[in-house]
Amino acid sequence: MLPAPIRSLVVLAIVVLSGCATEVVVEGSFPPALMRPLPASATLVFEQPFREYIFRNEGTREVSIAVGATQMDLFATIARSMFQETATLHQLPPSATTDLIIMPVVEEVQVAMPSDTQLNIFEVWIKYNIRVFAGSGQPLADWIMPAYGKTPTRFLKSDAEALNQAAIVALRDAGANLVTGFARVPEIRDWLATRPSPTAAPLERAP
Amino acid sequence: MKPGNLSVLIALALSLGACTSTTVDEYRENNTRLTLNNAERVVVLGRRHEGKYETEPDFIDCIGDKLGSAATVGVLPEQTFIDALYPWFEPRTAPLTLNRLQAMMNDPLLAERIRSQGIRYMIWVDGSTETTDQEGSLACGVGPGGGGCFGYATWDKNANYEAIIWDVDTFNENGRVKVDARGTSYLFALGAPIPIIAQVKSEACDGIGRQLRSFFIPENTPTTR
Repeated sequence: MLPAPIRSLVVLAIVVLSGCATEVVVEGSFPPALMRPLPASATLVFEQPFREYIFRNEGTREVSIAVGATQMDLFATIARSMFQETATLHQLPPSATTDLIIMPVVEEVQVAMPSDTQLNIFEVWIKYNIRVFAGSGQPLADWIMPAYGKTPTRFLKSDAEALNQAAIVALRDAGANLVTGFARVPEIRDWLATRPSPTAAPLERAP
Repeated sequence: MKPGNLSVLIALALSLGACTSTTVDEYRENNTRLTLNNAERVVVLGRRHEGKYETEPDFIDCIGDKLGSAATVGVLPEQTFIDALYPWFEPRTAPLTLNRLQAMMNDPLLAERIRSQGIRYMIWVDGSTETTDQEGSLACGVGPGGGGCFGYATWDKNANYEAIIWDVDTFNENGRVKVDARGTSYLFALGAPIPIIAQVKSEACDGIGRQLRSFFIPENTPTTR
């Protein structure tokens, strides 16, 4: 048995440490998208800031959320469903052998916890900038794509687990936004109109 | 009187008050019972498009368990369905009306996937359980000799949900069930804390689950679990 003063210190240390920062490395997986692939191939570019993105909130409560690896997984999974062929690179090339080059960039992440909003939900917002280039390297389109996820508080669930879940919901929302919005971006729509008919494309990639 | 005995007496007294009142309302399109053949299933889905609350996934699982306890009702887990149809049943894209579902089912890709899951009925559940009022105060402390709590706290919870049944084959609404459950919980501490919790959410699940079952099978049919 430890002496009483040491026991007090251990108890104090546990109490102090449990009140420290919430650090989350977002973990999860994503299903393939149910859609007909577009009649094009694409190279995805994940630059270092995207691959290693960590959101840090230095306010009243320290929170850090590392989304880099999981958001790469999301975009790669969605792209495999969206395009007939895909490739990935870690740097923007001057040109590519594919029809399109797509480079997602994280513009901003915001987090709201029940202690901030008095609501029984954890919320995560991610603002992406989607930059699309033709295979020749010519800029084609560039738009802001918001994503939002929330999850309810649950008895005996930690803040880290809740934030992870809210981030996964936000990433799934980003995937939904990309699938439903990509071909509606005017520049992409015009570019796709010049492509061969999509009826020639295979219907779907099975999940 | 010893503090331990006093705690037991107060706990017993308070347990009488820790009850939940539940009101269930239902609306049926007609009195015909809903039928499922061997290959058909039901999926229970939570509405998640509102900003201020979220229909809890564990509540949806609970309703699915209640429905699935009837041998004749097969239930597909919510997440399995949402993943198979990704991204068309996410909060951003899920159909809010039958017309929208019908438009989605005009796409052979989606229609085929929903049919391959054997889905005949979708049950959409919207609502949440919230703490509406709380009072009292509780203090806990730890020291070298141990720890303990002292005080009294009480809080009210209100569970309010509505379930709507959609027929995926005919694009008709078959019925609605509303549940409103309220209860007060207590926490009394004189050394060790003694919680007396009103099971508001599980009562709401029980009420809505039992009522939804009655759409598919006659009352008093034995369950498989």
